[in-house]
Amino acid sequence: MSETSAPEQPDEATMDLLVKRAIEGLSPAEQRALDVEDRAAVSAYLADFERAAAAAALAASAGAEAPPPALVARLERQGRELLAPNLLQLKAVPGATAAAPPAKSPGPAYGWFAAAACLLLAVFGWLRSPPPQAPAELAEAGRPPVTAIAPPAAPKAPTLQEARAALLARAGSLKLTWGATKDALAAGVAGDVVWDPETQQGFMRFVNLPTNDPHQHQYQLWIFDAARDKRYPVDGGVFDVPAGSTEVLVPIHAALPVSAARAFAVTVEKPGGVVVSAREHILVLAQAS
Amino acid sequence: MNPSVLKRIASGDPAAVRDCIEQYGALVWSLARRLTRTPSDAEDATQEIFLDIWRSAGRFDASQGSDKVFIAMIARRRLIDRLRKTVAEPPADPLEALETVAWADPGTAAEVSLEAEQAARALAELKPEQRQVLELGLLHGLTQSEIAARLKLPLGTVKSFMRRGLIRIREYMNLEAEGVSARN
Repeated sequence: MSETSAPEQPDEATMDLLVKRAIEGLSPAEQRALDVEDRAAVSAYLADFERAAAAAALAASAGAEAPPPALVARLERQGRELLAPNLLQLKAVPGATAAAPPAKSPGPAYGWFAAAACLLLAVFGWLRSPPPQAPAELAEAGRPPVTAIAPPAAPKAPTLQEARAALLARAGSLKLTWGATKDALAAGVAGDVVWDPETQQGFMRFVNLPTNDPHQHQYQLWIFDAARDKRYPVDGGVFDVPAGSTEVLVPIHAALPVSAARAFAVTVEKPGGVVVSAREHILVLAQAS
Repeated sequence: MNPSVLKRIASGDPAAVRDCIEQYGALVWSLARRLTRTPSDAEDATQEIFLDIWRSAGRFDASQGSDKVFIAMIARRRLIDRLRKTVAEPPADPLEALETVAWADPGTAAEVSLEAEQAARALAELKPEQRQVLELGLLHGLTQSEIAARLKLPLGTVKSFMRRGLIRIREYMNLEAEGVSARN
């Protein structure tokens, strides 16, 4: 039996937590206990246990049925929209103006501490009433050019700005203004969200949203649908703000169909985003009247 | 195995979408059906999983395992997250509805992937009660506590069975470079 040890094998209690996480997930308290362990060892062992669990699941998947045709159609539409030119990877376009220096991203500990301070207010504001602070409207004059968070456009593909303008022109589309919470990262953030219920497409525009390190945290959009349980808003996509950006446009990629969008919220989450936000770090909100 | 579909997705080729769904749709759907409570939940979960696949395809590394293991890992992570958020809700379906799900023999599992065959071989070596614990956890989505209650086993025994079982599968997959031993 191999007994090499790079990285060092965690103790039995940690191994149990790793196995539990790979099979059924951990409670917040268990996850915190795991977070204090050696990161390299935890990552290596967890990845292997997840692979082992995935392989075991595969061993029971022979002869699996295809998904229903209607679902396949939705999956195809979702994938094509996400992979369409301009909408896949979030990068700064060449020549993006580096205007105001990006705000310094606080470390995770600071972020969660700051979030705790405004959590109750933000959540109540989220669910019951308009956000606590009215956003400052963007002053058009003197602003640097917009940074579109998208790869270089295909020769004849519309830019994000053009796509947003086209969406705004559609009858029935919504334009809601972001309201900043009291979160430290949200200071000075303004902008709007455009959403078209018919095409299920939309764009977020942010001014002064701080640059983030995708390895530390990412921004995630949540869409509150009047037709769904308000505890579980629809994942609207994970995105980053590249360095040197003061104004960014971000396409919305709703994970599920949204029947009647009543609010949009952006949170700070771990890299890759989450399925259900703890709502501990809400930055901006936009609510339909 | 055809990782080129994932590469095409990562490169932003919309034409790869249909191929990807054809190749992995049944796998994702079967995992979602097992670990969600209603068909509607399974459909929502499948959409979320494919969204993760579109976003994560560029991270696929064939040296770390097959494309199907990569997809199954993405799916399981998402499904586990979903299970955790609904853990306080009463189960909609009785467990008996899923009793037909079980491990394939190694020969059948080999049709799915090499790793599936390796896992099936490892599982075939386990004691029946150890195998049952893994089956309830991995295939039916029961928590360790639920398994302990159902099988009338101490929680520590359930944890031990799971740990040893996963380590055994890991060994069969030659993932033991970091030195985890089934004796633990």
